[in-house]
Amino acid sequence: MGLINNIKSYSETLNLSAEKKDLFNSFLENGFPTTKDEDWKYTSLKKIIANDYSVEETGNDIDATEIAKYSLDFKNQLIFVDGKLISSPEIKGVTISGYSDFESRNNDAIMNLNASLCNNGFSITVDKNTVVEQAIEILFFTTTENNFSQYRNLIIVGDNSEVKFVERIQNLNGAVSFVNYFTRINCGKNTNVEFNKIQNNTSNSILIDNVDVYQENDSTCDVNTLIFGGSFTRNNLNFEQNGTNCESNMNGVSVLDDKQFADNHTFVDHKQAHCRSNELYKGVYLGSSKGVFNGKIMVRPDAQKIDAFQSNNNLLLSEDSTIDSKPQLEIYADDVKCSHGCTIGQLDDEALFYMRSRGIGVEEAKAVLTYAFASEAIDNITVSEVRLVAQKLLAKKLNVDLDFNL
Amino acid sequence: MLKINNLKAGIEDNQILKGINLEIKAGEVHAIMGPNGSGKSTLASVIAGKEEYEVEEGKIDFEGEDLLDLTPEERAHKGVFLSFQYPVEIPGISVSNFIKTSINERRKAAGLEPMPAKELLKKLREKMELLSIDKGYLSRNMNEGFSGGEKKRNEIFQMAMLEPKLAILDETDSGLDIDALRIVANGVNKLRTKDNATIVITHYQRLLDYIIPDFVHVLHNGRIVKSGGKELALELDEKGYDWITKEADKKWA
Repeated sequence: MGLINNIKSYSETLNLSAEKKDLFNSFLENGFPTTKDEDWKYTSLKKIIANDYSVEETGNDIDATEIAKYSLDFKNQLIFVDGKLISSPEIKGVTISGYSDFESRNNDAIMNLNASLCNNGFSITVDKNTVVEQAIEILFFTTTENNFSQYRNLIIVGDNSEVKFVERIQNLNGAVSFVNYFTRINCGKNTNVEFNKIQNNTSNSILIDNVDVYQENDSTCDVNTLIFGGSFTRNNLNFEQNGTNCESNMNGVSVLDDKQFADNHTFVDHKQAHCRSNELYKGVYLGSSKGVFNGKIMVRPDAQKIDAFQSNNNLLLSEDSTIDSKPQLEIYADDVKCSHGCTIGQLDDEALFYMRSRGIGVEEAKAVLTYAFASEAIDNITVSEVRLVAQKLLAKKLNVDLDFNL
Repeated sequence: MLKINNLKAGIEDNQILKGINLEIKAGEVHAIMGPNGSGKSTLASVIAGKEEYEVEEGKIDFEGEDLLDLTPEERAHKGVFLSFQYPVEIPGISVSNFIKTSINERRKAAGLEPMPAKELLKKLREKMELLSIDKGYLSRNMNEGFSGGEKKRNEIFQMAMLEPKLAILDETDSGLDIDALRIVANGVNKLRTKDNATIVITHYQRLLDYIIPDFVHVLHNGRIVKSGGKELALELDEKGYDWITKEADKKWA
């Protein structure tokens, strides 16, 4: 019983290479991390992994109308159903295929599990000097109940190219599901990449999401993470700047209620000089929800003239909600500009009175102010369709009636 | 319309208003003047319902109902409007969405459907013209990065959209240059009808050159110590407040 046993049985049905067997064994040795691990101090997997998820692969068909509900209807669309890539677009200068085997430098237990057993995912290569006009939409649907699944994706962006993505992982039933997800993004020289994650899955879904970004000279990469749904979400977002004049931007919004849990772990590794990083995470906690933010910025000895900014602002709007916020700065260069700030608060009384004096009821005023607070991080999304859907999801979650066309 | 009776109020143990009596009828404009710290803004805040002020005694009758029994939003629904001395910045909410929410919350309280978008846009355009506001302004975030003058103009714009029965303009002239002052005053004048009333709170006579009051009251140390017609404002401008406040201090000593 329990997830580990099911994973073990599943691994025996696979014909693993010696190398993958090693990786898998190293996962088994350590098992899933516990709250004794520093990186999982506030985040417990204990109850989750006690659940008896099925690990076998299944395949169901889904209706186009189901897809339409969650789609932005972009021309460039990759659709996965229960692990299988069922639709992939033709884009000039872009090569798209299913799962490809690649190594990752990241080797914690969960990533080893992903690297050893996962055989689903995509691989996207953008040629040099290519501007992909419309954003690429990536949809992952799970139709199987009580299912554990993994994805492993690779994005390689050639020099001087530009590309944007929006991704969504969606359950099509109310049952429990657990997804262990990994994406590696290689940003070539002078590239511009934006990756948007809409995390609005059903209320029983569990997600461990890991994104590793590797940047070369003069590249800019934005990752925007929007958490509204799901019962348990852990996001690991790692940037490694391997060239000069890189820019890494992270925007995050978590709006949680009931017993939802979300943990954003970010790590920016400044290894070269003249680079920037900007990080803005906003959290709104209602009900008995719980949030974790851990933002680490490392500035290596060679990384002079770094400008690193990190901000994590939280609103606790109920008695029982909590947030653990931990900024971590490690700076080994002397000519750098690093600033970080973390706030935990309630709504501003002056602003509340201002709105009430205009006839806006106290509940509505609170909701609108909360919307305003969270939307700052959404404003930085450059794909207008994604920004709009994020604003709508935010307004819906806070029960605010705003007009986006005025 | 408004009848304030022996109003005493303050913050914590500090009494600021020490027995205010004031009656305002529909169609009238009253100016409340007085030196800094006399209680002008406190009076405005208490009428609007700011919760940090404690009312110890008195009544604020507004069209037959005691405002002190109502929440700030209920007072707004009845037609009370306060133009803030320091309007609050609300990043993330556009001017248009803010105004739309205010209007529709008021309509909801009156049992009406939300205002149709077309009607709202028409009204927005009309009032923007009245106050010489350009179009880009609607999509800006509420008061964020606005100059002092823009903030005040935004207050009067909201007033024009909400069409209150009683408008209280708290130091609306501060931060305005002469052109902006003219535009704002002109807007206020155009919004005047025989059915609504305005309280203009100001330190200086300047604004009253443009918004002509029917009555002028001098507030000092929490009391109205002198009332008169519009000529009183001119007299104050010439002679300052001392001649009135000294006399009052003797009386209340």
